[in-house]
Amino acid sequence: MTETATARPPWLARWCPNAEWVLLVVLALEISVFGLTAPHFFTTNNAFDLVRQAAEIGLLVLGLTPVIKTGGIDLSVASMMGLAAVVLGGAWSVLGLPLGAALVVTLLLGAAGGAFHGLLITRLRVPPLIVTLGTFSLYRGLAEAMTGGYASYSGFPTWFLNLGQGRVAGWVPAQLPLFAAVFAGLWLMLHRAKLGREIAALGFNAAGARFAGVRVNRVLVRAYVICGLCSALAGLIYVARIGQAKADAGFGYELPAIAAVVLGGTSIMGGRGTLHGSLLGLLCLVVLQNGLRLAGEPEEIAGLGAGLILLVAIILNQSWTRMRRTRQISLLRPSTPLAPEEFHMKNSQIALLVAAMFAAALLVAGSNWWLVRSLRSVAATRTAPAPAKLTIAVTPKTTTDPYFVTCKEGADEAARELDVNLLWNGPITGDPAAQNEIVNGWITKGVDVIAGALVNPAAISSVLRKAQNQGITVLTWDSDAEPDAREFFVNQATAEGIGSTLADEGARLADGQGQYAIITATLTDTNQNEWIKAIKARMAAAHPGMTLATIHPCDGQRDKAMTEARNIVQAYPGVKVLIAICSPAVPGAAEALKQADNHNVKLTGLSTPNLCRDYLHEGWVQSIVLWNTRDLGYLTVYASAAAREGRLKRGDTSFTAGRLGPLKVDRDQILLGQPLVFTTANIDQFHF
Amino acid sequence: MKSAQRELALLGAILVLGLLPLFGVPGFYTVANLRNLALDNVPVLVTAIGMTAVIIVAEIDISVGSVFVVCGALAGLTAQAGLPMPLVVATTLGAGALFGAVNGLLVAWARVPSIIATLGTMAILRNGIIHATGGAWIQNLPPGFQWFGLGQNLAQPVYLMLALALVVAGVWTLRQTSLGRSLYAVGCDRVAARRVGLNPPAIILAAFVLLGTLTAMAALFNFTRYPTIETNAGVGFELQVIAAVVVGGTAVTGGRGNLLGTLLGVVLLGMIGTVLTFLHINPAWAQAIEGLIILAAVVSDTAFGRDHAHD
Repeated sequence: MTETATARPPWLARWCPNAEWVLLVVLALEISVFGLTAPHFFTTNNAFDLVRQAAEIGLLVLGLTPVIKTGGIDLSVASMMGLAAVVLGGAWSVLGLPLGAALVVTLLLGAAGGAFHGLLITRLRVPPLIVTLGTFSLYRGLAEAMTGGYASYSGFPTWFLNLGQGRVAGWVPAQLPLFAAVFAGLWLMLHRAKLGREIAALGFNAAGARFAGVRVNRVLVRAYVICGLCSALAGLIYVARIGQAKADAGFGYELPAIAAVVLGGTSIMGGRGTLHGSLLGLLCLVVLQNGLRLAGEPEEIAGLGAGLILLVAIILNQSWTRMRRTRQISLLRPSTPLAPEEFHMKNSQIALLVAAMFAAALLVAGSNWWLVRSLRSVAATRTAPAPAKLTIAVTPKTTTDPYFVTCKEGADEAARELDVNLLWNGPITGDPAAQNEIVNGWITKGVDVIAGALVNPAAISSVLRKAQNQGITVLTWDSDAEPDAREFFVNQATAEGIGSTLADEGARLADGQGQYAIITATLTDTNQNEWIKAIKARMAAAHPGMTLATIHPCDGQRDKAMTEARNIVQAYPGVKVLIAICSPAVPGAAEALKQADNHNVKLTGLSTPNLCRDYLHEGWVQSIVLWNTRDLGYLTVYASAAAREGRLKRGDTSFTAGRLGPLKVDRDQILLGQPLVFTTANIDQFHF
Repeated sequence: MKSAQRELALLGAILVLGLLPLFGVPGFYTVANLRNLALDNVPVLVTAIGMTAVIIVAEIDISVGSVFVVCGALAGLTAQAGLPMPLVVATTLGAGALFGAVNGLLVAWARVPSIIATLGTMAILRNGIIHATGGAWIQNLPPGFQWFGLGQNLAQPVYLMLALALVVAGVWTLRQTSLGRSLYAVGCDRVAARRVGLNPPAIILAAFVLLGTLTAMAALFNFTRYPTIETNAGVGFELQVIAAVVVGGTAVTGGRGNLLGTLLGVVLLGMIGTVLTFLHINPAWAQAIEGLIILAAVVSDTAFGRDHAHD
């Protein structure tokens, strides 16, 4: 279809029609840089970890490639993963279907979802972007509605879990053969079969393809069905790997998947694209993330790098393919492409573009500076004589929550006092899969201690056991794993302790009579759901006069918390007290009460003193329940070092951590103490 | 220009949704509640004005959520540094225009498809702000930051007036000015637009700069409602904006759409959550219902027999 106007060797033209060689160069660069700077990057272990990480997004990429090649798009792939996870769990444990049948039902659901997209797009002529924007909300919403967000299904049989956790022949991850089979099948379909040619033809020019005898509608529906099937399969693998089926499976996976496909040279206008190109694109992104993790860089650096690589690669790709213009008409865009003379770049325009890119680069976090700095620091650690310093790796649930930001201050302080290397890295959004990958990277890297505040204890315990088997000392803090997967748990307060303190505060503020409402982070949050359970239990046991009106999520966002608080107060006039249980929600709810000048509804919750200080003094928040988060981070690092060096052993009854003095040790738990209740009386003694 | 069927359908949906609270708890139809509901949706509305222009020229911008939070953080930092508020506003709007210009240049001159270009800038800006602040909120803002020092009772009506003035200005621009007509022309057919002497790259760039500036304005409207700035805000903001614009009848294929539809789309989608709360419906259903409403609105449009020029 394409006419090359350049003198490239035919083999290159044949295998890399979309300048995939650019990606090969990028990938080779990444591999050589990380191979030189990140020890353990070149190990089979690491290679297999990569496969595990890439398998689910990889399946989405395989499904999206034919869809994008038709000139369409599917934004709902990750939401379908969530729906598939919930349907699988529901069919198996609620309806009592045999697991094999439940798997088939789930795959059929994926196909049905794809067919639904295809029908709306072909019969009703709704653009794919809009259809799948709707189903993006609909599928995830259905998954949450079916489970209320908090219900999850686990206890799957071993043969199923092996799909996500097992190894074939003792060393190859089970995902690899499965992924390879799907890839091979789809590759043959897309590059060696009629359907693939039809997809390419209709992506280039739908009208022309129809005149050439292609049944455009049927081909389109098939492309979307394939995509739906792949999404459901990705959902199943996710469940098998995490060991738990919940509505938040695959949350936020759609954008990296789409990025990998377009990075791989598939044209968003349709027509051009290869499956092996998409795989290369995926590898570029995954290797970048993995290498930066091994180099000890925080998560957001990989995101920054991915954005830059995407832009640079596509610009190179564009200038490459500009020489080989092809006429394309896509479903996304009806306008015909411009003839070459329409749009040629003048030197002044190039200069402008370069200047703008440069300004943006400067503005955005001085990206060049930290790249150089991080590479230099990595190189420095390599060239320096092997340090005998302990390396303690600590993962919070999320790096962006103010709660954990204050924990890090304490951890940094302790690391300075003890002169240890502290690695601090966690998911940006609180995604359990990302936390698994970070910990896996640390195991590969060979740190001395891993201390984790776990997003999803069920999911990560097997990874922690693997770390213990490699001789790494494992502790948990903030939220515990299964007891055999760690040596000590730095316990700031139990869920019961937090829940009952919050319930007691709520009841005290409402004088023991009336309705209370809860504002939570998201309906799927593990920790928050445990606290809610404890609050309900305590209210039932000790405060019979209190009844629960409603529980609303604020997505961990202050803006939404303000709206929700205001709506609850107006729609539930009986509510006398709000209990907000994530740190951005308390200031959000306080601002809502303040702006409504509402002194009748009382507010308590779980947040940091700095965020609530002014509201407390002004009387919009009556109290907040927390512990000294800074001390929690501090103690975690102290306990990690002591457990590693044998100064803290099972059977000890007390442990002295720096400035904190002696603390109680109860069997395998180091107790920070009871939750504190901050009120106007004591809040000014705390600065975190 | 065209029949107003889409707008009527949206108006009908808004009326039906608006009748529901009458069967629920009283208090939905109070001045305070409606004013607050409107204020909550001002940022989406202001950004959606610019997004309508960008989608009319057959492009899309998914970086607005990141631009939104970065501009908010810049406003906070410059205010913290002691700049007077007018300068803070100027800096923030300038930054927004610059981000829009970068997106526009990538799309119009480097000819990166807009969904990819803005996916890239979205990732860079969002991760950049996380890296720069470490997730910490921007606090200790001067007292003149919240509500621009006007005080809440004065500022709230002013914000609403300004937002409506922006909508009116947008409607006028799209309908009555040559820039507006050029946007439609370029969105309909780039080659034809070129042939009649328009400069498509410049017009696409203008649409993106406009969107960037309006996103910065939306950030000012949003973040000045608080005494502190949350650096994790704006996640999912771009989808809210795009959904409102496409539900409002602007075609992602370009060349068709208007701001009245966008305004109705913002109102419809912005009401759902609050109406459901007043009906005491379990919030677990909110997202599914929102998805259904988006699909229903779009499908009803085609059921009316609107002609979609796909190929």
